[in-house]
Formats: sequence, structure tokens, C-alpha cells
Amino acid sequence: MWGTEWPRFEVIKQDVKSAPPQMVGSVHAVDPEHALVVARHVFVRRPAAHALWVAPAEAFYAVTREGLKDPPPPEGPPGVYWVFARRSQRRSMVYGDLVGRYQAENPLEAIRQALLEVQGYAFYAVPEALLHGTEPKEEVLESWFAPAKEKTYRLQSYYGLVTAKEEKDA
Amino acid sequence: MVKLRIGYPEDPDYQERLEEFEARIARGEKIEPGDWMPAEYRRQLIRMISQHAHSEWVGMLPEGAWIPRAPSLRRKLILLAKVQDEAGHGQYLYHAAETLGVTREEMVEALLSGKAKYSNIFNYPTLTWADVGIIGWLVDGMAIKNQTMLAQCSYGPYSRAMVRICAEETFHHKQGKEAVLLYAKGSPKQRRMVQDALNRWWWPTLMMAGPHDTDSPHTPLLLRWGIKTKTNDQIRQEFLDEHVPELLEAGLVPPDPELRYNEKTGHWVHGPIPWDEFWKVINGEGPMNRHRLLARQRAHEEGRWVREALEAYSKRRLAQAAD
Repeated sequence: MWGTEWPRFEVIKQDVKSAPPQMVGSVHAVDPEHALVVARHVFVRRPAAHALWVAPAEAFYAVTREGLKDPPPPEGPPGVYWVFARRSQRRSMVYGDLVGRYQAENPLEAIRQALLEVQGYAFYAVPEALLHGTEPKEEVLESWFAPAKEKTYRLQSYYGLVTAKEEKDA
Repeated sequence: MVKLRIGYPEDPDYQERLEEFEARIARGEKIEPGDWMPAEYRRQLIRMISQHAHSEWVGMLPEGAWIPRAPSLRRKLILLAKVQDEAGHGQYLYHAAETLGVTREEMVEALLSGKAKYSNIFNYPTLTWADVGIIGWLVDGMAIKNQTMLAQCSYGPYSRAMVRICAEETFHHKQGKEAVLLYAKGSPKQRRMVQDALNRWWWPTLMMAGPHDTDSPHTPLLLRWGIKTKTNDQIRQEFLDEHVPELLEAGLVPPDPELRYNEKTGHWVHGPIPWDEFWKVINGEGPMNRHRLLARQRAHEEGRWVREALEAYSKRRLAQAAD
């Protein structure tokens, strides 16, 4: 019965066009296309999304600022890497934000390039070639993300409650 | 993807690293998966996060039963969205636990084999539609108290999952409150129904915060390492102070003859909680324990063909692409 766990894919979501894509979590799936569909169910229920990508979890090279003193050996071919950084400790809602795309010899090299531009507490690099994402076409965006936007019961303010006290005082 | 660096008390540099680790937590820094952490910190987190994930997963059952019987289309849509959220919350949490090097499979197996615990509250049945409202308002109300505290957790992935979950739980809380208030000012029959639901869910809800601080062995360490930032009794108190006045104003009475307001402290005081029942339910003797577990096992078994079909489809496509 066991020993059948599907591979894990990291999910990258861009809420709106003007915001950077962010690492939001992961899903298990049989292949990238399936992962994208599952990611949509898990991470795009509401309220908005502009684009979604997935890549195999093991393709991500990760290192924390603490770990940079003694980084894990970088394995990875030369090419274009997407580099993500977690830039704050204080706020809870801090995902890895996309810092940029870098041509590099290996993932650690890509992160070192990014470090010239940003500070952060944790860094991730993934080969661009392994990313699988939604097409940036209007009709694709519509069919993928409109249902989340139209989900009626999404905002707390929708209920505008109506506390028992207000009822009594009215 | 991230190599875990775990320290054991017998390591020569353990004391030094522990001090560094505790200083980071004291500064309010988040611990990320690649950072050094004590083995016990990791163990406690896996225990808490996976239990929490299981609770979301089992929590779909009591309310899911009412989806086909919701009184209106609007209520049905709300409930569908809510149950779908619980599934998503389970996923976020399993993911957070996976960053600690435990596999999804191990966690799911622990749930299905009955080895792992989940929140006691889901071992009670939902007898009427009013239960759905009370669960939204009170059970999710208590959950939010607990979860906003956990959103401050020192472990980054858990705290991030909790922030996301809290945002969605507030919607659950509001829809429950709205439904209950509507019934509370409805016909005598509706009022009786909602009072009955309150009577049945009141004590289990208070127990959700966990045993009293004096009986909670893990709490001091969890507080010290910033896994929890409040104690069980603190959370219970916050819940009471927020919900009791609103329930009373709605004309509903919690089934606790000793419930009173303490003018001096400004807090609501509850009577003795029936802990015997709590321990009985935790140990598998609750009204729905067997039923809930069976339902999850059955869902896993009956979903097997879907998993197999997905795998076959993917394999065939890869083979075709290779040709």
C-alpha cells in the first residue's frame, strides 16, 4: 500500500502582474502538468492570481543566510536560474520572492549574483528550463483564474456583521 | 531540497549552537528549513503540524455531510467553499511538515492506521443544520484563537501556512456567526434548534484549547522555543471573553450554570470542564471516532483507481512524447 508517494513540486504564484512571483508551497503530483492543476486547487481558491508555475522540488537549490557561511555543494548545469529570496524575518507572511533571472555556472553562483542586489534570510535557485507554467494568454488566464476571483464567499466584509449588540441597539 | 541540520544533546557543540538558536528566537527571527535546529524542536513541530493537518483533513467530514442537505443554494455554496478550504489547509500544513524531512506518506499512514491524533472536536456528530452554524462560529472561533497565536510561530513554514489559514478561517467564523444569529432571532423552533446545538458543542469547544496549563507537559518548552506564544488557558480565556457576551446578547445561553463575569479581572469565568470525557474521546471512545477513521480509510481506498489512472495517463503521455 505504501511506497507510492508522488514526486513533490514547488509552486510559484504571481498574484497580480505588478507583483513578483512567490514560492507559496508545494504539491505532490505525477507530472508537471498534473502538479499545475493541483496547485491551482490548493493555492488559487481566492482571491486573485495572474500566473502559476511548478518545478520539481529537488531541482531547487536552497540555502539560508546562516548556511551561506558553509553552503551545500552546488550541483546543477550552467544556464538561466530563477532566484528567490525571503527578505524579512519580522512579518509572518514572507514568501520567497522572485529576485531575478541570472545566467550562471551553477545555482550557488546565481544566488551570489542575486546577493549583489538584495539581502535576505533564505535563498532558492531553480533552473528556468525545469519550470512549467500557465501560458500568459488572456483566454488561459481567464479559464484558469477567473473562478477564484468570482468565488462569492471570499471576503470577511461580505458578511458585514450585524453583531447581536447592534441588532439590539437598533 | 534542503538539507536539515539537526542538533542532538550529545553533540560536542550542542550547547553553543542551542544558545545561538535560542538567541535568534528571542530576537523574533524565523527558523527556516536549512537552519540548525535541536532534534526536539523538529520532533515537536512534526507532532503539532501533522496533528493539525490531520484535524483539517478529518474536519471535512462532520460538515461535508450537510452539503447535500443545506437549506438554500447560498448556504450550500458557502459550505462547499468552506469544506474545500479545509482540504486546502490540510495541504498547506502537510507541506509545512514535509520541510522538516517527514514524508507525506508517513503522516497519512499514521492517520489512517489510527496512530496519529487529530482534534477531538471532530469526533462529535452533526445532528442538525444548526450544528453547521455553531461549528463555524464557535469551533472555528476557537481554532482562530489558536491559529493566530501559531501564525507567530518561530518556524517559518508553519507560521506562513497559519497566516494563510487564518485569513480563510475568519470567513468560516463570520458565516457561522451569521447563520447562528439568524436562527437565534427566528421562530421558536429555530431558536430551540440552535440552543440545542450550542448545548452539545459548548464543552467540546472549550476542550479544544487543550488541557489546563498545569496538565500540559509540552507547553513550557514550546513557549521557550516560540513554537507556541500563548498557553492553552490563555487561549481559552480569549475565546470566552469574545464569545460569551455575543452569545448572551443573541439570547443564547451556554450550558454552564457557573459561568459568570468577574468584575475585578474583567474576564469570564467558566465552571469545571468535563475532562473525563475529553480523555475518553482522545483515547478513541468518542461518539464518532471509529466512524471518522473508517470514512478516511474508505476515501483513501476508493480513491485508489484515480491515483492509478493518473499515473497510467502520465506514463503513456511520456512514452508517446519519447516516440
